Amino acid sequence: MDRARIFKSILWAITGLGSAALATRFLIGLGAIANMNDAVPWGLWKGFNIFPGIALAGGGFVMTAIIYIMAREEYHKYAKISVLLAFLGYLTAATALVTELGLPWLVWHPIIFWQHHSPLFEVSWCVMLYLTVLFLEFIPVPLEETSRFAKIRIFLTKYKIVLVFLGIMISTLHQSSLGSMWLITPEKLHPLWYTSLLPILFFLSAVAIGPIMLILAILVITRIYRRRTDSQTLSKLGLLSVFGVLVYGLVRLIDIGVKGKFAMIFDGSWQSTFFLVEISLMVVIPLVLMGVRRLRNSSGSLWVASLSAVIGLGFDRANIAGIMLSVDGPMYTPTLFEVLVSLAIISAAILAFLFGIERFKIWDTKWEDPREKPESHPDFDRSAEVWLGTPRLAGRSVYSLIFVVSLAVGFAIIPGKRIYSDGVQEVVSQKAYGGDTLCIDGNRDNYGVTFDHKAHVVRNSNDSSCVLCHHMNQPNDKQSGCYSCHRDMYQTTDAFRHDWHADPANANIGCMECHAIDQERLATTAKACDQCHKDLIPPGATITIEKYMAPSYTDAMHFLCIDCHRQKAEELTDKPDLALCTTCHRWKHPNHLQDEVAEKYNHPYFNHVVLPQKGSKEKGH
Amino acid sequence: MKAAILTDVTKCIGCLECVAACKKTNKLDRDFPRSWHKNDGLSARNWTSIVEKPEQHYIRKQCRHCLEPACVSVCPVAALYKTKEGPVVYDPDKCMGCRYCMVACPYGIPRYDWDKPAAYVQKCHMCIDLIKQGKQPACIEACPTQATIFGDRDQLMAEAHRRIKDEPEKYINKVYGEFEVGGTSVLYVSDIDLEFLSYPLKPGTEPLPDTMKPAMEAVPPVFVGMGALMGGVYWICRRREKLQGEKEGNKE
Amino acid sequence: MQGLLDFAEGPLFRLTFFIMVLGFARVFILAIWGAVDAYRKAGDKTIAWGTATRKTIGWLVPIRSVFTHKPFYSMFSILLHIGLILVPILLLAHVRLWETALGFGWLTLPKTWADLLTLATIVAGVAIIIGRIASSNLRFLSRKQDYLWPLLLIIPFVTGYICSNTAVTPATYQILMLMHVLSSELIFVLIPFTKIAHCVIMPLSQFIMLIAWRFPAHVDDDVCTTLNKKGMQI
Repeated sequence: MDRARIFKSILWAITGLGSAALATRFLIGLGAIANMNDAVPWGLWKGFNIFPGIALAGGGFVMTAIIYIMAREEYHKYAKISVLLAFLGYLTAATALVTELGLPWLVWHPIIFWQHHSPLFEVSWCVMLYLTVLFLEFIPVPLEETSRFAKIRIFLTKYKIVLVFLGIMISTLHQSSLGSMWLITPEKLHPLWYTSLLPILFFLSAVAIGPIMLILAILVITRIYRRRTDSQTLSKLGLLSVFGVLVYGLVRLIDIGVKGKFAMIFDGSWQSTFFLVEISLMVVIPLVLMGVRRLRNSSGSLWVASLSAVIGLGFDRANIAGIMLSVDGPMYTPTLFEVLVSLAIISAAILAFLFGIERFKIWDTKWEDPREKPESHPDFDRSAEVWLGTPRLAGRSVYSLIFVVSLAVGFAIIPGKRIYSDGVQEVVSQKAYGGDTLCIDGNRDNYGVTFDHKAHVVRNSNDSSCVLCHHMNQPNDKQSGCYSCHRDMYQTTDAFRHDWHADPANANIGCMECHAIDQERLATTAKACDQCHKDLIPPGATITIEKYMAPSYTDAMHFLCIDCHRQKAEELTDKPDLALCTTCHRWKHPNHLQDEVAEKYNHPYFNHVVLPQKGSKEKGH
Repeated sequence: MKAAILTDVTKCIGCLECVAACKKTNKLDRDFPRSWHKNDGLSARNWTSIVEKPEQHYIRKQCRHCLEPACVSVCPVAALYKTKEGPVVYDPDKCMGCRYCMVACPYGIPRYDWDKPAAYVQKCHMCIDLIKQGKQPACIEACPTQATIFGDRDQLMAEAHRRIKDEPEKYINKVYGEFEVGGTSVLYVSDIDLEFLSYPLKPGTEPLPDTMKPAMEAVPPVFVGMGALMGGVYWICRRREKLQGEKEGNKE
Repeated sequence: MQGLLDFAEGPLFRLTFFIMVLGFARVFILAIWGAVDAYRKAGDKTIAWGTATRKTIGWLVPIRSVFTHKPFYSMFSILLHIGLILVPILLLAHVRLWETALGFGWLTLPKTWADLLTLATIVAGVAIIIGRIASSNLRFLSRKQDYLWPLLLIIPFVTGYICSNTAVTPATYQILMLMHVLSSELIFVLIPFTKIAHCVIMPLSQFIMLIAWRFPAHVDDDVCTTLNKKGMQI
């Protein structure tokens, strides 16, 4: 197989894997596949796809400005490809945005609900307009294939300069407004990145590195399709954009200097390291490799310089849109599925890009393939002819197979019901501890009550009182603890342990002892609990069993205590407060238990929602 | 009247009655601990929570209803807005779920329905419907110790200063919410430092929307200016081309 | 064993089920796409809709073959197809699983009917293998997969029947269930890539064939040109 087909196969596989995650996100919700949380509401898709995507697509307006307005004819051959690159870059960002929105079908809302103080309002308007402009700029190219819409094509080509002007003006606005978006976060963004010049810096970096992205794209396709290109023009373009990089670097460093933050760059913290890496990737390496004449003319340094600048720009946007924001809450690391969705969106865009350059007349001349022998095959079928690469028909069957299989793999690796189970880790309840005064904290969140067991026994006429609160579910049992069945802390759960009953090592009861042979094996058709556990509900007990399902531990306890307390509050007229929460939850732990509790469960807040670490799960009995 | 809430941390016993009342009034579901929750107890289904600090200190956390709210200024569709009564209110019919408000809020208050295919932002609205009927918010009504009280912002501010003045050795001499980010409608007096309620790099007293104002005001001039600049360059380049053409024409 | 079963019922099931469903979609789309492509280039664009419809209905409702030739073989074949389609989709236990996964279920077969149909399917499968071996004509036409497919198809039916009807120990139950699940998953994976794909292509195959089997316009001239015999009759 040739390079292009291997490359495209890999892209199709990634697209398939990510599409499965994407489908899950739309069917179940963001929480099903993403690790974004209340502390980090914007995740990988913003920092990796949207902000860098729009910045790198800035090459579109810069190139049109250079070609059509400054009339630099030598770059005219890159006009169509830079528009296509920009169009797909914006589509990538828009797709990621739609994936990321909570209500994606309302993405058009900024059109009718106006709020002109918001930079995001302006950005969304500009992106919508600019996508339209780019579409109109590019559409004459595919229309050349057919004779049908000739009028539209001629009209659009004739008034191209209007579109170019519109594109530049709109791009200036939103490229800078993307920076304005972060002006609102002075208390979160690290001071090395936060500056009132953010909009200007965003605009300058997009102008400088947009064309470098175009250089990289051209280098990549010449490599994939094994074609030659005009490296003279490319390095000239590199020199041009490196001026922009220089301006950007100077503005940024001077701004930091003026605000007296120079010392911060070298203070050795990880943020300063990130800053240095970012600056060297984005400014220093391209400046050296593209600025020095001797280095500029080798294709190797062009490769390294453009890669480094592009990665550096992405790193800068990711730093501002995520990494450098202080987080007050759970740390954010993207899940595998977020990464897959991210890559899938980009892969799909690259596939569309490759389709575009293979299929349409992006180039003024057909690229010559040095390996091709012109008279080697008859041209039976002109529909398969393309401008670059292999005939498209050949790939259909292979690519669809790869896509289908990887999509299925994607669905297989998404953990079922992550949204319901992963957030709520099963915590096995613990026995109440203490002497006559019990510390009840079954769900181990340090928010329990002290329970005067002895006083309750005495008040409820001693020995006969056990049945009021305790089930008796084991042979010769007097007081099974709640925790023996109500094991799961947070969810409604099956209180009947089927696995334990069926296990040969434990109860060792065969299926047929509970389920009749000729019936479906369902909970409703099985033998009732009290047919074996004869004294499960002794006479006089306040607890009854209505179904096999039990509410969570907390609910079970609350039900038990509050019900009884309410009843007593009515009977004993002198204690009206008996059923209030504060009666039991006044103090969480008596002082003599405090140290023990603190040692055992070292949580900062009593009503924390920090889940116990994985692995600390104890085996239930 | 500018509705406001004053919470006296020294009076709170941490009974969670306000949380229960909030859930009941706003018909919020039960909540389970999830991986996406912050550890302050607030969530899409807990609009107020009690944060415990050592030595029996309980701090009720809720939306601060800033006088000049960052969330309102950044919302691209005006789904969040400041009512004339004072509370900052959310309109789910306009929201498109971009979560910029969550990024912008200096106190990290808005929370999200991460587990739903149609997900909305969730936050305290100070029971705006009850206020309009002349009643108190549900959490205030439920508080058994009057640790959190409701009233006009100016009166509550006076009350807060009076309390600090009466017992200066008990309270820290600061009304939290008086000046931060231009002032908030939810005020605290406390005997412990409450700086942990906002982010580590403390917001100043400047209202956050002001940080964006210069950039946003520059938008129309930049748009026109860029067009004019490009037009100028275009004219110069064309003219130079033309002149060059003429020159070459003359030569020939 | 339980871990293996959990894996087979969880990720492996999702993988194979999606390969089947998406594979169907792929085969279907490719078939239609190819047909449309061929039709667009075809010289002769007439289509015999009537014949195609008649033939398709004849394929879908193969009653005639029962009365004309090989009545037993045809009957068993029909029985096998009915069982293969109805039992997995309408069995109560399966519908329960869908209910827990999707939140909705559909109507189910009564237990007695399902059991009878299962037995009938097993018998039909065995009969078809025997029929293939017994008849010399069929034996001549059969490939290896034609014998293996009925065999593979009845494994889940046999194991499923034992699990739901006879008293077995929990350990045996797990082994049988694992066989049931794994064999079904093997079937899922193979369906879109083998002759069993006829379950989705079938309703349209006659049309696709009628449309797709066309020569492009001027193909004869092209061939002549290539063979350096321009202007000659072939």
